[in-house]
Amino acid sequence: MEVSWLHLIPLLPLIGAALNGIAGRWLPKAVVYAVALSTVWLSFALGLTAFVQLGEGQLHELAFNWFSVGSLHVDMGFTVDRLSGALVLVVTGVGGVIHAYSMGYIDEDPGYARYFSYLNLFIAAMLTLVLGDNLVAMFVGWEGVGLCSYLLIGFWFTDEEKAYAGRKAFIVNRIGDFGFLIGIFILFAHVGGLSFAQLGAAGFPVTQAWDWPQFAALCLFIGATGKSAQLPLYIWLPDAMAGPTPVSALIHAATMVTAGVYMVARLSHLFVAAPGVMAVVAVIGALTAIWAALIGTSQNDIKKVLAYSTVSQLGYMFIGVGVGAFFAGTMHLVTHAFFKACLFLGAGAVIHGLHGEQDMERMGGLRKYMPSTRMTFLIATVAITGILPLSGFFSKDEILGQALHTRAFNFLTLTPGSGVHLGFLGPVIYVVGSAAAFLTSFYMWRCYFLTFSGEYRGPDDVHPHESPAIMTVPLWILAVLSVLGLLLGLPPSWVHGTWLEGWTWEHFTEGLFSRPRGGGAEEFAPYLGYGIALLVGWAGWACSYALYYKRGLAGDAALTARMAGFRRTLANKFYVDEVYGAVVVRPMWRFAKGLWRVVDATIIDGLFVNGIPSMVAWFGAMGRRFQNGDVQRYAAVTALGVAALLYVFLVRG
Amino acid sequence: MDFFHQHQAQHYLVLASLLFALGAAGVVLRRNAIIVLMSIELMLNAVNLTFLAFSRFPLVPNSPMGSFLSGHAAVFFVIATAAAEAAVGLAIIIAVFRSRTSVNVDEFDTLKL
Repeated sequence: MEVSWLHLIPLLPLIGAALNGIAGRWLPKAVVYAVALSTVWLSFALGLTAFVQLGEGQLHELAFNWFSVGSLHVDMGFTVDRLSGALVLVVTGVGGVIHAYSMGYIDEDPGYARYFSYLNLFIAAMLTLVLGDNLVAMFVGWEGVGLCSYLLIGFWFTDEEKAYAGRKAFIVNRIGDFGFLIGIFILFAHVGGLSFAQLGAAGFPVTQAWDWPQFAALCLFIGATGKSAQLPLYIWLPDAMAGPTPVSALIHAATMVTAGVYMVARLSHLFVAAPGVMAVVAVIGALTAIWAALIGTSQNDIKKVLAYSTVSQLGYMFIGVGVGAFFAGTMHLVTHAFFKACLFLGAGAVIHGLHGEQDMERMGGLRKYMPSTRMTFLIATVAITGILPLSGFFSKDEILGQALHTRAFNFLTLTPGSGVHLGFLGPVIYVVGSAAAFLTSFYMWRCYFLTFSGEYRGPDDVHPHESPAIMTVPLWILAVLSVLGLLLGLPPSWVHGTWLEGWTWEHFTEGLFSRPRGGGAEEFAPYLGYGIALLVGWAGWACSYALYYKRGLAGDAALTARMAGFRRTLANKFYVDEVYGAVVVRPMWRFAKGLWRVVDATIIDGLFVNGIPSMVAWFGAMGRRFQNGDVQRYAAVTALGVAALLYVFLVRG
Repeated sequence: MDFFHQHQAQHYLVLASLLFALGAAGVVLRRNAIIVLMSIELMLNAVNLTFLAFSRFPLVPNSPMGSFLSGHAAVFFVIATAAAEAAVGLAIIIAVFRSRTSVNVDEFDTLKL
């Protein structure tokens, strides 16, 4: 159905960003807040309207013809279908809640107008990314969210370290974006159009051979590894925690970092045609899940724990889409947005209540001082660890179950024509994912116990206090959503025929993706998987409880005594930053320095910029010799000139 | 040899060029402005000698362009010009000497300004 108002959804936050960005410093604080919040919530209302209207179909608006070059026609168009509609609600809903929370968090900072301008701009870019009906529009949003991420990580840019973290995020994302662009070029060259409708109808043949659809999918996935912080490009996300905590919640946990998952799901027809790339996606996802979970167990900065947790959970999402269960990956995207935003905002409330303290070594016993924060953090922790049947349990287990039963790799061989079949990949990914689930449970409970249990370990002059209602109410909203998210993941057999059936994500997204599940629905028995998942979750809790509940930090000491070397490696994040520094950054630095010395300083500056003027100056100096005012010199030169002319005309001529 | 016993044009021309070169060298090399003026006179007289040589030994006999007196006429013009030039030149030198107390040409370099 064609409508004419979809462009308002991203436009309203953009107007808010412009207003606050240009005039914010002269406007009263209340006006800045009102503009920032009202635009986001109006977008939410519009998104809700679209969501109610679309039913089983989709809403589309052709806003304008953007550009036409040769055979390339790019329109700025927006599509709301069930997937993008739900994500619009998540982005504006969670975003709106975080905007409200930010009013309490950023209130004392003089840069509040700039902050809300960036935040609104981010919402606008993210909505463009989600709603764009073609890859170019999506790329605009993709770059827009990257820019806002950079601006907000370096929000306190006078701190050199934070400005550096912003640059790091931007540069690492650029590497991925380069892959994204190449993928777009390949698709345009062969398909001739870039709208999702055209790409969905292109009918890519499923093949093991490495042809252009496979390379396009691989390049696009490289883009996804940058934006969604997967191996090997995840390194920017932990450093991105330098930004304000609500930003970490909104951008670096709930929305922007899931853009890669959304993109892969959106292009499911392309990715399914490339089983080799699907295997790469799933394997990268599994490796990232366990890699980041391992690092997360040994971090003491509460935000760093949550950052590695985010990387790990994004790995799960890529397992989901990689094994062909696009609905499972996107479902985890939605539920993760709820509970991870809640966790980050809870961490923000803790940091706020401790006047900027982020180190868990100086926390502890906070349940007495901040009951609301503690309760919501507990609910979200339960949700992410998948112990009780909260949202994370269902969405994570759905991914693992789909990985176990997937048929995506059944006919895949290691190289075309070789005898090594990759059918075993699914079960292997299941085992790795379950191990990561155990670690997730372990480090999240460690984080909870170290923060809220035991006795307060901070300095005496810092008095922990609960945050104002403007910050705790958003926490409660997100905690409730983390619980309600379980409705999305209920298995079909439980809800068959009831009103709940329409709410399950699998039913809801039916027909949107190129294939419904990773494996056959009939062979999918949930109970064994649920039992194992519960066992794994409880095991993580039990280990964490035994180590940290009573003893607090002494638990870490006991663990370190057992495996000192491993713990040190984990605390140093596997030395990945050091390896990148030695292998990539410093050689690049030296190369750039060489270029600067040779090309810039010597050739450009020396030869061109300074060389040409000095040549002119030399000619001038030569000419000045003849103009010294000595009349005899003039006469001599004249005589020589006449002699030369006579020689030429009389003797030679 | 013929060269030494027969008076021909080239004898006068060679002498004239030597005188001219001597004068030119004096103009260029000597510092004293009066000597420079004298050297200019030398160059002018070298030219006069050339005029007379060509008048005595015309390149084209019985030329309709003029009689043998045309060279002589030109010489008178040159002598008149040289006299005027010497008068003006000496006046300039005296004027310069009054302001600079020097007649050295290499100290007069205000032309470059």
